[in-house]
Amino acid sequence: MKRLILILLALFLVKSNAFATVDWESKGMQIAGEIIANPAGFFYDFQQDLEATTPLPPGKRFGFQMGLFPTLIPVTYTNISGKYRLHGEGRIAPGVPQLDLIGGYWDMLAAKMATKDSKSIDSAKFGGYYVGAIMSTSVSPRVRTFWGYKRSQLDASLKFKPGEEPTLLGTTVHSFDTGFKDDFFIAGIETPRSVGKLWSIQLNYGLKTQTFSSKVSWYGKYFELGLNIYPEGVLVVHPVWNFHLNF
Amino acid sequence: MKKIFFSALIAAGLAGRLCAAVAEDSRIFTPFFDMTLSEAAFLPSEGNIFSGGNMNTQVGLLAKAAEKHHLFGLYNFNYSGQGFTPQDSKQFTDRSMSHGFNIEYRRVFTDRIRVRPGVSLTREYRRTGANEVWKNGLYNMNSVGGQLAADYTFDEEKNGYVTVQYLFRKVKFPNYTDLLSEFQNAGNTAETSGGLQDQNMGQISVRPSWNQFFGGLTYTVQNYKNQKVVANTGVYGDSKQRDTDTALDFGFHHTLGIFELAPMVSYTIHASNQNFMLYKFLGDTSPQFGEKYYDFKELALSVPLDLNITSKWAVGGALNMTRRAYDKRTARDAANNFTSAKQVNTMTTLTGSIRKRINEVAMVRLFASFMAANSNNNSRNICPTAIPATASV
Repeated sequence: MKRLILILLALFLVKSNAFATVDWESKGMQIAGEIIANPAGFFYDFQQDLEATTPLPPGKRFGFQMGLFPTLIPVTYTNISGKYRLHGEGRIAPGVPQLDLIGGYWDMLAAKMATKDSKSIDSAKFGGYYVGAIMSTSVSPRVRTFWGYKRSQLDASLKFKPGEEPTLLGTTVHSFDTGFKDDFFIAGIETPRSVGKLWSIQLNYGLKTQTFSSKVSWYGKYFELGLNIYPEGVLVVHPVWNFHLNF
Repeated sequence: MKKIFFSALIAAGLAGRLCAAVAEDSRIFTPFFDMTLSEAAFLPSEGNIFSGGNMNTQVGLLAKAAEKHHLFGLYNFNYSGQGFTPQDSKQFTDRSMSHGFNIEYRRVFTDRIRVRPGVSLTREYRRTGANEVWKNGLYNMNSVGGQLAADYTFDEEKNGYVTVQYLFRKVKFPNYTDLLSEFQNAGNTAETSGGLQDQNMGQISVRPSWNQFFGGLTYTVQNYKNQKVVANTGVYGDSKQRDTDTALDFGFHHTLGIFELAPMVSYTIHASNQNFMLYKFLGDTSPQFGEKYYDFKELALSVPLDLNITSKWAVGGALNMTRRAYDKRTARDAANNFTSAKQVNTMTTLTGSIRKRINEVAMVRLFASFMAANSNNNSRNICPTAIPATASV
C-alpha cells in the first residue's frame, strides 16, 4: 500500500512549469491581515479545539478533559473541561436518549506573563468558557447519533501603558477590547473502532455569527486525536490532541 | 483560439461520508445523519495557492405515526468554499452557505404505491473575497415552496421503482440590486433596481431506478417576477425573463470483481428569452447586441472508477468532462468584439485517489486532481469594459 501511495503522489504532485510559484510572503501577509481583522474569531477557533462536545461513552457517569495541542502547547491555553451524565439511554423509559451536561474554562498563560514582564503592556486578558448539553441515541448497536447545544464566550482585551503605545498604520493603539459570544447547534455521529476506542464526526454551527466547524476525532481511554476543520478560519485545519478521563 | 487558463489543480484532503438511517419496523422514531466534508489546496497556473472546502450535513428524524402514515423532517446544512468553478458562474473567492428545512408526509397506499407531499424552506447566504457579513451578501436567497411526489415500485427484488415529482418554489433575493441602474440613476432615491432576481420556479421530473441503474428527465421553468428582456435598442421591453432547462441523465453504480464503477452522463438544454448588450466602456454609444445570449446545450460526463484492492483499501481515478456550446452567443476576440464563431467552453478534470473505509459508516479519500478549462472566448476583460445589460446567476 505504501508503494501505491508513493506512485500516486509521484503522478500527481510532480512540479511542472505550468504551476505558478507559491508566494509565501503575500500568503503570510494575507493571514496576518485576517487575524487583525477578526482577532476574536482567530482565538475562538483554538477554544473550539479544547471544547469537549462528544457524549460520554455508554456506562460512564462523568469525565474530565484537558486540551494539550494546539491549546496548552503552543498557545498556552490552560484549560479544563467536564462532562456529567444526567441520565443514560433508556434508563428513564425505553428510547429516551442519554443526556450529558458539558462545560469548560480556559485562560491564556502567555497573556498573564506578558502583563508581568512587558514594559509596554499594562494589562492583558484572554480567556473563555462554554456550557451546554449533549443528547445521544443509538441508531444501531454500533452507531450513536448525537445532538447538542453549547453557549461559548471568549474575552480578549489588551491595554498598553501610557507613552508605550504602538502605532499601526499611522494610528496609535491604546487598547483593544474584543470578544466572541454565540449559541451553537451541534450534530454528530459516533461509532466504535475497537474495544474502548471510538470515532466520531460532528458539525458545530453558531446561530448568530454563522461560525461553523467540523470535528473528526479518534479517541480511547486517555487520549483524543482529532482534525478540526474551520473552512472560514485563518488556519483551516487544526490537528488536535486532548487528554481525558471518564468514570 | 483555445486557451488554457487553469493548467493544474492539486487537491489533497480529507473526505468523509457516512450515513445512518435505517427504518426499523420496531421503532417509532428513526434518526438520520449524513455528513460529507472535504478540504483541498488549489494551485492554479496563475495566482497564488489557496484552500477551499465543502461541507454538507443532513440531520433528520423519521416518525412512523402509524403503519401507513409517516412523517420525515430534515435539516440540511451546506457550505461551498473557494474553488475552481465553470465560467458563467462566480469568482474563485465566492463562498455560499445554506440552511434547508424540509418536512415530508409519506402516505403508503399499497406495497407498491407511496405519495409524498411536503413543504420546504431554504435560506442561502453568499459572500465574496471581500468577506462581507454573511447576511449582507448581494446574492443571498430565500425560498419557500412545496412538492408532491409519488413512488411506484415495479420490481421489489431488484429495487425497481419510478418517482414522479412536481415541486415549486417562490425565490427572493432580498439584497439584490442592479448596480448599473443605480449608477445611471444616481439622483433617484427611490428603490427601482431591487427584486430583479426574484422568481417563481417550477419543476417536474420522472426518475426510474432499477438494479442500481438510474436516470431521469427533468423540466424546470423559472419565471422572473420583475426582470424584463432587453431589446436590441438597449432598452428593456415589456416581456419578462423566462428560463427553461430540460435535462436528461443516466448512470449506474456496479461492482465487477475488484472494479467499482459509477459513471454518469447528462445532457441539458437551457433556453432563455433574455438578450445581452455589450458595452465596451462607460458611455459607449454603439453597444453590440447579443440575441438569445444565454441559450446553450451542455453535455456532462463523469466516469469514476475504484479498484478495491482489499476490503478496506481502494485506489481510484475519475474523468469528468463538461462541454457547453452556446446556440447564438459568439466568442469575443482579444479586443472584446464579437467574432463569427459560436462560444464553446470545456472543462476537464482528471483525478487520482486512495480510499480507505475507516469503519462501518465512514470512509476517507485522499485525492489529487488536474483540471484544465478552455474556451474559444478570448476576451478576459469582464468589467468594466463589458457591462451586462442584465444580471444572470
